[in-house]
Amino acid sequence: MNTLDTDVLVIGGGSTGAGVAWDSALRGLHVTLVDRQDFATGTSGRFHGLLHSGGRYAVKDPGSARECAAENRILRQVAADCIEDTGGLFVSTPEDDLEYADRFLAAARAAGMEVEEVPVGTALRDEPRLNPKIRRAFRVQDGSIDSWKMVSALLRGAEAHAATVLPYHKVVEVLRHGDRVEGAVMEDQRTGQEVRVHAGCVVNAAGAWSGQVARLAGCEVGVRPGKGVMVAINHRLARAVLNRCHLPSDGDIIVPVRTVSVIGTTDHPVADPDDTECSPEEVHQMIEAGELLVPGFREARALRVWAGSRPLLPKTGGSAGAGDREVSRSHTVLDHGARDGLEGLVTIAGGKFTTLRLMAEDTVDVVVRKLGRGSECRTRTEVLPGSESRHFYWIGNRQQEAETDPPDDPLICECELVSQHDLDTVVARRPTWRLDDIRRALRVGMGPCQGGFCAFRVAGMLHQEGRYGRAEANSALREFVQERWKGVKVISWGAQARQTRLDRWIFEGLYDLEHLPE
Amino acid sequence: MGTDAVVLGAGTAGMVAALRLAAAGASVLVLAEGEGGLPLAPAQIDVLGYRPQLVLDPLGELAGFLESRPDHPYQLVEAGEVGASLDWFLELSAPLGYTGSPRLNRLQPTGLGALRPTCLVPETMAAGDLSDGGSVLVVGLRGFRDFHAPLLAENLALAHPPSGAEVRARAVEVSLPGDPRDLRPQLLVRRLEERGVLAELGREIRSRLEQEDLVGVPAVLGLESSHEVWQGLQELVGRPVFEIPTPPPSQPGQRLQQHLFRALRRLGGEVRLGARAAGYRARGDRLVAVKVVTAAREVEIPADHFVLATGGIGTGGITAGPDGELREEVFGARVSRGGAPEQPLVEYMATQPLDRVGVEVDEEQRPLGGGGGALFENLWAAGAALAGAEPWREKSGEGISLATGFRAARLAGGARA
Ligand SMILES: Cc1cc2nc3c(=O)[nH]c(=O)nc-3n(C[C@H](O)[C@H](O)[C@H](O)COP(=O)(O)OP(=O)(O)OC[C@H]3O[C@@H](n4cnc5c(N)ncnc54)[C@H](O)[C@@H]3O)c2cc1C
Ligand SMILES: Cc1cc2nc3c(=O)[nH]c(=O)nc-3n(C[C@H](O)[C@H](O)[C@H](O)COP(=O)(O)OP(=O)(O)OC[C@H]3O[C@@H](n4cnc5c(N)ncnc54)[C@H](O)[C@@H]3O)c2cc1C
Repeated sequence: MNTLDTDVLVIGGGSTGAGVAWDSALRGLHVTLVDRQDFATGTSGRFHGLLHSGGRYAVKDPGSARECAAENRILRQVAADCIEDTGGLFVSTPEDDLEYADRFLAAARAAGMEVEEVPVGTALRDEPRLNPKIRRAFRVQDGSIDSWKMVSALLRGAEAHAATVLPYHKVVEVLRHGDRVEGAVMEDQRTGQEVRVHAGCVVNAAGAWSGQVARLAGCEVGVRPGKGVMVAINHRLARAVLNRCHLPSDGDIIVPVRTVSVIGTTDHPVADPDDTECSPEEVHQMIEAGELLVPGFREARALRVWAGSRPLLPKTGGSAGAGDREVSRSHTVLDHGARDGLEGLVTIAGGKFTTLRLMAEDTVDVVVRKLGRGSECRTRTEVLPGSESRHFYWIGNRQQEAETDPPDDPLICECELVSQHDLDTVVARRPTWRLDDIRRALRVGMGPCQGGFCAFRVAGMLHQEGRYGRAEANSALREFVQERWKGVKVISWGAQARQTRLDRWIFEGLYDLEHLPE
Repeated sequence: MGTDAVVLGAGTAGMVAALRLAAAGASVLVLAEGEGGLPLAPAQIDVLGYRPQLVLDPLGELAGFLESRPDHPYQLVEAGEVGASLDWFLELSAPLGYTGSPRLNRLQPTGLGALRPTCLVPETMAAGDLSDGGSVLVVGLRGFRDFHAPLLAENLALAHPPSGAEVRARAVEVSLPGDPRDLRPQLLVRRLEERGVLAELGREIRSRLEQEDLVGVPAVLGLESSHEVWQGLQELVGRPVFEIPTPPPSQPGQRLQQHLFRALRRLGGEVRLGARAAGYRARGDRLVAVKVVTAAREVEIPADHFVLATGGIGTGGITAGPDGELREEVFGARVSRGGAPEQPLVEYMATQPLDRVGVEVDEEQRPLGGGGGALFENLWAAGAALAGAEPWREKSGEGISLATGFRAARLAGGARA
């Protein structure tokens, strides 16, 4: 068994864990971060992609709104490459209460948001697809944020400060010595090998799974997974993020993300955070809701459906039996020493992608106190790798790049303009990629063809380069079609049904994937 | 002069029906919105490959297969007529050198190296039947992204044909002379039609041969002059050469499509692409004309007989709505799920709700209306438009199109006499 020693062991490689790793590393602590899968495959890879302005929480949860507004400003400075500066609009549709709009404006100002009311005509000119019957419109500082880029930049940054990151390492045991947590045992999900990490402090950043991890240490954290469904549509229907100006509910936000738009979301309590199945009813609910913001939404082609689990924490701090209390969207740092008499373990729970930096700062402040080591937080000003130019991401960039790519760098994915070179770069960074991880990293197979053509190319190339063995390439393809089916099976209508049929012909008819040797 | 028969759809089924009607002396017009599956498909004619176990004798095993598939389109056709339609096709496509028999499946490698059952193949693929084993050199072309020889060869080497014979395979990658950049199939095909390029490729392959007695290459051996390219390469290499299907667009598919289009033209028929049928006019239970949209103009095209060969979900002949409603787009014919489940299954490789969708027909292949009887006495359906098949899984695509297109023409012809 391999054994490692570290100052801080972070369990969970979502936005929160990656933020904690970056923050700790900048404070001079040695960090080891582990995830049972690839990074950003939990809720952070299954979220809506909105860099919140705070508007969504302005009326109902002013504390969260204030946090979002402030963190939004900071991330724009330090993580520009991960952000598309789309701007956002809150609009009163015919079904929304106009009085709410007044309260919204006042609350947004009070939360420190940059907000201005714009004439309906202006909003409609900027967003021609927007419902012409809207009655008021407010411009805010929403953006869209790329989870994979963000988490990967945080981890690269941490690694540059000597952090160790271990994907596919699942925590199976928390090491305890009396009333102290001293580390954890991980199982490598690819080889079955165990790795033992001894740590000065363990941070449980397992999001919706943090209850499961806490239980391994023998304590309770009452996170309640809340499932939310999102549907991607094959056009950029708007330039800005479109929000309904009303008390937050289901399907009231459309986020433009690169070449597509994503509508979401819902909130259903689920027992198991791995339960990310989407029902046809949920999808229809989203499509109908989209219609209210963008008439004709129904006719657009749905590309993919997915769901993620919110790591919601009851306001009491999640002690067992907290009951049905109002659940906070703000985060909580649980010091298990103070709470349960169990030293060496800190759980960070709740929160949002947008507030990941603040969550990390609050967490590492506690860690530093416990270790009696580590400097001041630096993440407010330290620019992340890749964002040095401070230019926001813009879809046109990719097209320009593709046009000026060297001609001997063939495209492997026409939909998302991904080249062989892009693939090589990403694969060189970490050698153990699953096709589905590559899909997330490069967005190969996320465009209109959804991988019908490029999945085979990627598998074949990686096999040719010796990165995949034969059986691995076969199972990667099988896994890929299965994973994708999960995302399209409840949106098989119209053009998507045609695409699904073409893929049937390609994977089963043409390649006979079903009868390929294991 | 009026048109005897209007065929909607220019895929295999529509073209077969049109050719048969034209050969019987009818004036035929094929109207099609797009090109259908043909130019995408490898042009291997499947009849039946899995039931779900491997099928060796498609005609012999058809009855057994149909016992468990009451909704299958082959239920409409006698085995004898399936055989007759294939014999006719073999004769028709002799210029492309089609070979094979509906009594014996061939086992040909796919682009991933699975051994796949199919029935008839063009001459350029004929040597690729590995039913009795063989030793294959799989040749990849540097820069061509849609063919990965090493993975193909490694998988192929694990294949076990039921004969028990051994399959051996080894991969090499060769460069075409000149520009090594991104090779799209369209470009590749044209380059291989250049004599010098082919000679260089042939020499290169020959120098890499060891014990292998066969050479497999991606299916890009020319378009118009595939016979010459394939033959030329065999001579240069000194071994039988066969094409292995690549993902769309498909050269063998385009060759077959061009061949069928030309054959129809020779018989006086016409194919009009970019013509979407979007309605009809009827008198009682006779269909009088179809309404066709071309370049934003709608025209009525009258005829005595009509064939509906608009394909299924895959080509838009049938559409599915978000609320689950299914529509046959031209006549509003009754659509069936062909015995597939209502809700999607978790497992991808299973029968899914839309997999068997198609129009319902009477014994005479006439689409049914809402009332349950035939919609029109002079409208017949054929091919992927029919409900009940899963051709990509059971390997029956072109076979169904051939048999039902052939039969639709006979029924329409009978009505004509
Ligand atoms: C539907 C939905 C939409 C949302 N939209 C937005 C939005 O638009 N904007 C926004 O700011 N926020 C949004 N959020 C909130 C935000 O996505 C989450 O708060 C955030 O991503 C949580 O990150 P995390 O790192 O805490 O959790 P996760 O990303 O889930 O990370 C936890 C990690 O722990 C790992 N793990 C679990 N068990 C183990 C174990 N035993 N060993 C090792 N690793 C383990 C998991 O694999 C996972 O990667 C949304 C949330 C949902 C559900
Ligand atoms: C990638 C791929 C691989 C395949 N591989 C094989 C294989 O290996 N072996 C095999 O046997 N089969 C294979 N097939 C299946 C085969 O090519 C045919 O699709 C099948 O025979 C069905 O043919 P069809 O003529 O019924 O329909 P299609 O080929 O679907 O043709 C339908 C025609 O109707 C037209 N149309 C639709 N709606 C309208 C309208 N409203 N008005 C006018 N025209 C309309 C379409 O444009 C098209 O011309 C494959 C198909 C694909 C796509």
